Amino acid sequence: MSIDLTFISQVIVFVAMVVLLWKLLYGPLNDLMEARSKKIAEGLAAAEAGLEAKAEAEAEVARQLEDARARAHDIIAAAERRAAEINEEAVTRARKEAEGILDAAREEVHAEVAKARQQLREEVASIALLAAERVLEVELDAAKHSQLIEGIVDKGLGSA
Amino acid sequence: MAEQGHSGGIAEHLKYWSVSFDDANPFMQLHLDTLLLTVMVATGMVVFALWLRGRLVEGAPTGVQNFMEALIDFINQTVKDNFPVHNPLIAPLALTIFVFVFLCNTMDILPAYLMHHVAGLFGLESFRQVPTNDLNLPVAMAVCVFILVLYYEFKLKPVHFVKELLLQPFAALLLESKNPIVKVIGVLLIPLNLVLKVIEELAKPLSLSFRLFGNMFAGEVIFLLIASLLLASHLEGLLSIGGFVSEFVGLLVGLGWSLFHLFIGLLQAFIFMILSVVYLSIAHQPAEH
Repeated sequence: MSIDLTFISQVIVFVAMVVLLWKLLYGPLNDLMEARSKKIAEGLAAAEAGLEAKAEAEAEVARQLEDARARAHDIIAAAERRAAEINEEAVTRARKEAEGILDAAREEVHAEVAKARQQLREEVASIALLAAERVLEVELDAAKHSQLIEGIVDKGLGSA
Repeated sequence: MAEQGHSGGIAEHLKYWSVSFDDANPFMQLHLDTLLLTVMVATGMVVFALWLRGRLVEGAPTGVQNFMEALIDFINQTVKDNFPVHNPLIAPLALTIFVFVFLCNTMDILPAYLMHHVAGLFGLESFRQVPTNDLNLPVAMAVCVFILVLYYEFKLKPVHFVKELLLQPFAALLLESKNPIVKVIGVLLIPLNLVLKVIEELAKPLSLSFRLFGNMFAGEVIFLLIASLLLASHLEGLLSIGGFVSEFVGLLVGLGWSLFHLFIGLLQAFIFMILSVVYLSIAHQPAEH
């Protein structure tokens, strides 16, 4: 149990072993582990970023859906308003057209009535003239002529 | 644990296979058994490293690679927990110390007298099977660590280290005093400080090496005692009931001690490694002003 030359030899063996194991065992394994750790960390970071992106995308989708719903609601409301307006316009227009048709029909009726009256007057006059001619041709009898004229007028009116 | 036919006292089996270059000078001798075994262990580790290097996979590790990665991760974590800064040398050094010391210690569970008798077949008178039982190996490792500690102390904080050598533990307080007499006493105490500090620093490698050596040496002596006292040295000893019972008890005790000593070897390897890391860590600590 003494220190001797073995000590020197053991120092050499130990130092050589430290250097060799550093280069041949620790170095490669440690590099490999660090590379793997880095890869795992990157993967985890990417996964975390992916999760964040997914959450952001989901939030964006929700926001866009909400916007779309609001827009759709506005569009529906506008469409309903427009439909009501169109309906109102159509009703108004139809009412106006109907009134126009009625007015036109009324005017036409008035015109026809006036025309008929005018025509009637003319016919009455012509009938009266005819009746007068006949009376003049035959013989004038007041009672008889008056009955005749009334009959002619009645006849003329009846045919009119 | 047991080897039949052992003879002679325990002291005979504690001799080294050595060669002396100068009989008058005890330093000029070489323990060939220690050298042979450490070179064998070192070569085995290097061969293992080369073998493993060719089988490394980047993906999920399995088997031996997985075990070695777990070991390196443990070493890295231990170093990281103790070190204030990153030093690429420390972890490989700690790994080498741990694995090398553990493998050397583990050779102690080979049956007592086995290597001695195997060596006897080759005409050798003695052979020690555990390199860490030779004080030269623990001291060599401890001195290497100590030199590294001194190197980093001088490299990282030379002024602080010299001040500590000269002014601790007594002089610093005295020199801070405004009283000139106390200051003079402080200056006079510098040599005492230096002696105490040198003793303190030398105690580190000494305690480091003697702790390992003492534990492993005691373990080997107990193995030899178990083998000598309980196991039969000749076949005739087994033929009696007492001899048989003694052999059985010896085997049981030897097996128990082997398992315990395996644990001791692992523990001592860890202690040697962690203390080396701690000493180097202290050398890396920033100087307090």
